[in-house]
Amino acid sequence: MKQQLLKNICIFSFILFLFHFAAPLSAQDLDDILSSGFDTELSEPAAKDTSNDIDELLSGFDDVSDERQEKDATASSTLPEWLEVTGSLGLAGSYNFTHDAPKEDDVDFRGISMLRTTASLSSEIHWGDWQAKISGHGFYDAAYAIQGREQYTNTLLDLYEQELELDDFYLQGSLSSKLDIKIGRQVVVWGKSDNVRVTDILNPLDNRLPGMVDIKNRRLPVAMTKLDYYIGDWNLSGIMIHEVRFDKNPVYNSDFYPGQQPLPPEQKPDHSLANQQYALALNGIFSGWDLSLYGAWIFDGRAHITTDVNDSLYRKHSRVFMTGMTANLAFGNWLLKGEGAWFDGLEFANLEDEDFSRLDLMGGIEYLGFSETALSLEIVNRHLVDFDEQLTLSPDIAQENTIQTVAKLIRDFANDTIQLKILLSLFGAHGEDGMFERVQLDYDLNDAVTLTGGIIFYQSGNQGALSAIEDNDRIFFEFSYDF
Amino acid sequence: MLQLKQIQEVLLCGVILLIFSASAQAMTAREIMEKVDGRDDGDNLTANVEMVLIDKKNNRRVRKMKILNKDKGKDTWKLQFFVSPADVKDTGFLTYDYYEGGRDDDQWLYLPDLRKTKRIASSDKSGAFMGSDFSYADMTKRVLDEWTYKILKESEVKGHKVWLIEALPVSKEVEDRYGFSKSVIFIRQDIFMGVRAVHWLKEGKKIKYQEMLGFEQIDGIWVSTESRMKTTKNKVTLHKTVMKWSDIKYNQAIDDEMFTVRRLEKGI
Repeated sequence: MKQQLLKNICIFSFILFLFHFAAPLSAQDLDDILSSGFDTELSEPAAKDTSNDIDELLSGFDDVSDERQEKDATASSTLPEWLEVTGSLGLAGSYNFTHDAPKEDDVDFRGISMLRTTASLSSEIHWGDWQAKISGHGFYDAAYAIQGREQYTNTLLDLYEQELELDDFYLQGSLSSKLDIKIGRQVVVWGKSDNVRVTDILNPLDNRLPGMVDIKNRRLPVAMTKLDYYIGDWNLSGIMIHEVRFDKNPVYNSDFYPGQQPLPPEQKPDHSLANQQYALALNGIFSGWDLSLYGAWIFDGRAHITTDVNDSLYRKHSRVFMTGMTANLAFGNWLLKGEGAWFDGLEFANLEDEDFSRLDLMGGIEYLGFSETALSLEIVNRHLVDFDEQLTLSPDIAQENTIQTVAKLIRDFANDTIQLKILLSLFGAHGEDGMFERVQLDYDLNDAVTLTGGIIFYQSGNQGALSAIEDNDRIFFEFSYDF
Repeated sequence: MLQLKQIQEVLLCGVILLIFSASAQAMTAREIMEKVDGRDDGDNLTANVEMVLIDKKNNRRVRKMKILNKDKGKDTWKLQFFVSPADVKDTGFLTYDYYEGGRDDDQWLYLPDLRKTKRIASSDKSGAFMGSDFSYADMTKRVLDEWTYKILKESEVKGHKVWLIEALPVSKEVEDRYGFSKSVIFIRQDIFMGVRAVHWLKEGKKIKYQEMLGFEQIDGIWVSTESRMKTTKNKVTLHKTVMKWSDIKYNQAIDDEMFTVRRLEKGI
């Protein structure tokens, strides 16, 4: 009896053990789990045996594993580790399809407006926490030879047909654990906006092809000494700008020049101690938001026309003082951007004895919530304080309020091999001061080669710099090889 | 008397057997995932990463990166620099990855062309990481409580016993943020590491297959030195990515200063 009891207890215990161990693997339970699991994304094969689906899941890894033996496709560099050399070669072209036939003796802007071969080279040397960089670029534009060089002024050909320039040329390092120095020709970007400029005033821009090139590729490096002191979340940046350099704007005889006559000569301040420019920035970076405060005493990038002792006209850049502030606020997929700048000491030709002040305010928003897409909108208003109607007259042609709006969409396709960029830029509240729209497609043929194509449309404004741009609608392309 | 003792011994044996079976079986999916989450995955990591992007026609693009990670409690600070190809060289990405699901990560991108550091506001982790098949969610440690787990079954992968665990997001918000409506994760039973995963994307009826390879013990920590991901739709492979890790070093003395915008702009 007792033997039987012992036996029964043992059998019961064993069965209990088996039951507990085997319970979660019961075929019935597993089927239930699998059925419910495949109801969502795999709704199409709902009628199928779900146990087959799990097998398919497992087999889905097979060809992933096949890649195991593949070799490293990248070539190793022959340069020493402390030296880096990079560069690019390119061919860029554009075709103007809307320009009217020229009047007698005018330039014929129809057809090919650019056929530019470009090259850039950059070298960096690293040692410890220090680095030096030198870079430059050059281009030759065959469009002028094709269209007939005799149509153009020498000034235009000098500026548009070919170029060879030194870009970045600096030494950068740490003087102590909290103090950095960067000395030489460089770009320093202030502000949070990506498409308009409010506090981003330290480097001039290349404006020769308005609308065709993003701001990031238009900044011109300037020689300066920059000291950065870091403490906690804050950074104090002191800058002394040694080189006086101004925007490159469309010149008389070019397709984007609005007037019928050339401007008076520009008087550029000497490279002297008295003409040094100064800038100070305080930047704070915090969780979810950033803040920057700026002050600068620099030359106004916009020149006004005045007369010299011989009553000859020339263009002069006055000294201006700027104070500004920018802030970023990130929440979810949204980024809010705000900038404000106050300029003192602005001068105009029509009221030469007076100085003017201007308040620039910018609001912007960026949204990254759509897959592979970035949307941004930036609106800026430049308000001239104590505005006088005389400023509306030539040659100043100024307005009390100048509004600019830029909307941009960037979307990546096919694992970032294709990028679509749509840009809309309006001057004036409703584009009455001019506007342009650009649609661009970039295609990465491989790691080194990128093909670009696009189209840009211009609408002229009632007055000012964009009053004669509407005939410049064009298609463009670029082939670039990076190494 | 002896027989009674025998009965007691057998009963004790049965109870022990039951306790053993209960404890083995009490390893619920959640407990397994807690073990996976709590596994020592190393602190303060430096490594080189090579990412090979392979399209349907087997065209390849290669991106090389240097990465630094520093654990700050449950949060992770990450610094990534692209070394090649030339068009993205020196692009840097700094992330303060907060474990707390509801808190947005702080992210900054340094673009050398722009010579500017841009703050990136994106709580959505479902986007592709630099054009690869890996999403930002795939590069981030999942918050344990944001998923519910269920053991589907046990199986074997390359001779190792694994649990197949289904993970479902606890809310629509979590689903949107990660971009997955469901995952099935293959957990190796001996080392509590994920070796494979299948992810159902919330959009596009796509399924991603992830496989971890090249398991090594580095500085006492089990590491996978290679991760592969392929994106499929209707069983057709759309794109694949192979991510290889080398020069992996753990427990490095990495100064907090490395994870700043200052360093992002200066490079490493």
